[in-house]
Amino acid sequence: MEGAYAMLKLGLGKYRSIVVLITLFLVFDVGVLGMTFVISRQLTADAISINLAGQHRYLVQKLAKTALLIDQDATQGTFDSSGRSSLNEVKDLIATADRFNAIINTFDGGAKLPDMTEELALTPSQDEQAAAMFALVKDLWAPINSEVQSLNQPKDGHRPDVGPLLQVLIPSNLNLLASSHLLTSRLEALSAAKAARLRGGQMAGMAAALINFAFILYSFLGQLRKSDQAVERAQRETEDILRTTQEGLFLLDPDFRMGSQTSHALSRIIGVEAKGGENFLDLLKPLVTPKTYDTTKEYIELLLRHDVKEKLVASLNPLDCIEISAVRPSGAVESRFLQIRFNRVLQGNKVTHLLVTVNDITRRVKLERELKDSERRVQDQMGMMVNILQADPRQLQDFLRAASDGLNQINEDLRTASPTTGVSTPRVDAMMRIAHRLKGDAAALQLEAVSQSLHAFENVLQELRVLTRRSSEDLLPVAVRVKGLYAEIAAIQDVIARIGQVRGVVSVEPPKPPHDPEVAALAFVRQWRSFAQQLAQRHEKAVELSYQGIDVEQLSPQLRDAVNTAVNQFIRNAVVHGVEKPADRKMRGKSEAGRLSVYVSDQGDGTIELSFRDDGRGINPEKIRAAAIRSGRLSPEAAKAFDARQLTLMIFEPGLSTREHVDEDAGRGVGLDAVKDLITRLGGRIRIGTTSGEYCHFRVQLPVKVEPRDDHIDAPIKEVA
Amino acid sequence: MDEQQLRVFIDIVSQYFERQTGKAPEVGSPYLGDASALPIYDFTGVIGISGERQGCVYVTAHRDLLRQLLLHVGEADVSDTNLCDLVGEVANTISGNARRYFGPDFMISVPVVVSGNARAIQVPRSVKAYILPLRWHKFEAALVVSLQ
Repeated sequence: MEGAYAMLKLGLGKYRSIVVLITLFLVFDVGVLGMTFVISRQLTADAISINLAGQHRYLVQKLAKTALLIDQDATQGTFDSSGRSSLNEVKDLIATADRFNAIINTFDGGAKLPDMTEELALTPSQDEQAAAMFALVKDLWAPINSEVQSLNQPKDGHRPDVGPLLQVLIPSNLNLLASSHLLTSRLEALSAAKAARLRGGQMAGMAAALINFAFILYSFLGQLRKSDQAVERAQRETEDILRTTQEGLFLLDPDFRMGSQTSHALSRIIGVEAKGGENFLDLLKPLVTPKTYDTTKEYIELLLRHDVKEKLVASLNPLDCIEISAVRPSGAVESRFLQIRFNRVLQGNKVTHLLVTVNDITRRVKLERELKDSERRVQDQMGMMVNILQADPRQLQDFLRAASDGLNQINEDLRTASPTTGVSTPRVDAMMRIAHRLKGDAAALQLEAVSQSLHAFENVLQELRVLTRRSSEDLLPVAVRVKGLYAEIAAIQDVIARIGQVRGVVSVEPPKPPHDPEVAALAFVRQWRSFAQQLAQRHEKAVELSYQGIDVEQLSPQLRDAVNTAVNQFIRNAVVHGVEKPADRKMRGKSEAGRLSVYVSDQGDGTIELSFRDDGRGINPEKIRAAAIRSGRLSPEAAKAFDARQLTLMIFEPGLSTREHVDEDAGRGVGLDAVKDLITRLGGRIRIGTTSGEYCHFRVQLPVKVEPRDDHIDAPIKEVA
Repeated sequence: MDEQQLRVFIDIVSQYFERQTGKAPEVGSPYLGDASALPIYDFTGVIGISGERQGCVYVTAHRDLLRQLLLHVGEADVSDTNLCDLVGEVANTISGNARRYFGPDFMISVPVVVSGNARAIQVPRSVKAYILPLRWHKFEAALVVSLQ
């Protein structure tokens, strides 16, 4: 009730001025109507006065005429001997005079005449001129009236004597007539003036009403236009919001009907055309399971009940995350996740609608799933990784290769099996042999999970073997196990690839050969140390070279030369490019003297390994990028596309130096290129590991029995930690 | 996907043939194939699968098999349109029945029919697919199940 009152007040407030103006208009109209009525009454009343004044003129003439007729009858002897006709005429005279008197009396405020419908509104006394004229009429009339009255009561047979009357009447007749005429005219003028005044008022009232009306029109139209503009603006804003929002938005009424306006994104998000006014549940039905559909209906009904707290039931929303699928022309199913939320729209305490918000949360859900999968995979892989890390890499690779070949063989046997008799017993036996061998290898490598899977596979094959006829249905478990094994082998390969990424850095660190002070003091070591010191002095740096490993002098001359050349080049490279000046090193928390560590070890497999490591600034890929552009080897665009690994590998390319100036020690970009060339020729391989700011590490493997090769070395491995 | 689930797909197809023609197809030895080497014959009906596991199941058949099947059911019009419709119907039968069997864990789409060398069929690349060869009246077809 209060609300209605407030609304009424609000409504009046908005239209207050219009209401006031219309009221004024009505007041003016009533005023004009009243005025018209008054004028009309006034004119009627004034007409009576004018008429009465006009009667005076007529009565004077009638009186004169009658008196003269009586007198003429008497003079010409045409007078009725009985005197009857004269008597009648005298009576007429008297009646005329009485009427005259009655009018005078009425004008003087006496009783109204019998034929008057209302009181006189206009009397001579109201105007000075009229009063004077009326007084003159009365003065002129008084002697005439006196004579007429003396003729009263005439006797039969007696001739009435109108002589005295005529004596009075004739001289004043014209004056009386004129005075009566003037009085009438004056009254007419007074009446006209009064009517003009009233009409003026009437006109003013009408004008005011018209002005008022025009103002109403102007004011109302203005307000209407303003109101229309506001509505239009609000509509435009709503449309803009609905057109632009990336959410599906619409209102839902208690009959589950969607409101007339829906956001443009809605159809795109839910994947079907959604029109305003449609039944939301009908739209939802093909998208969700019957159970979800029923629960949604109940949930909406619950929300529409005002006695249930919205926040309490929000967690029950069955559409908080639903998966819908759409088929692409290729047959692939596009799965999307939607979140449909409902919020109450209240009017007072009553729930009139629900605001429905639809969001595509596919990305979020997929990310969550990927995260979960990733966590699970990481956990699975961690267990596997421990075993793989412990396993001998070569054995592991051999196993994987054998497993892959074995599984391929089994799959091929399945594929080529006879459609009628299935796989033959010898083929089943062959499969069992493969499975058994792989199981043993897996167990040796401590790959427990694979070993168990292979054991289960053996059981399946065993069951298959005892069958005399093997239908395709009997082979289904074989195919399923083979697929599982493929997946497990792939998972191990995936883990190895991941370990490889880490091991690339780790494995470049070879086990250190035992330190032998005697070897460390040998001539070739002294030569390296001396060369390093000279270079360091020239470049105002400090270095310490340490050596561990075999006596290089014991190697074949070719191998010894190769090692010597490589080490000298690595020293040159390290001192010129790698090791920082003492002050820089101090700032970086390093010892002032750069450490150059050289190891040469016999691997026992017909190869020796040379390891050279400095703890300088490492390789800066950006410097190489700049050098590659400067030397014209790469265009700026191509250089930009190169990653750190590709850039690092470029240090082995001829003619590339990061040094801007050429001196005796560096700048021509030929040193490492030459080392690579030498090692390639000897059939060896070189790898590099570096961390910018920390170290640079070369690892060279050379066969002890040198067989010169022309082909290129294995791609140098470079890992940037 | 285990053998039970694979068996469901085989049963659906077998029953379809049996119901329509009175003769179930011979099911060959199941084997595995890479995404790049899956059998695709003249007409293929694909149903996509999403949800817990993603991928597709498709039935692919030679033109002659489908033509023969149509004639068996008394349909004289063996135009490509009708052959497409037929393979679509087989896929639809798989879709409908599988949906009933697997429940909400497998979201199974309505089928799509592709004719010719359907390179456009999208199967998961990283896993091997089950290939279940079918033979009916000496004509070849295959049921392929490829799920991640």
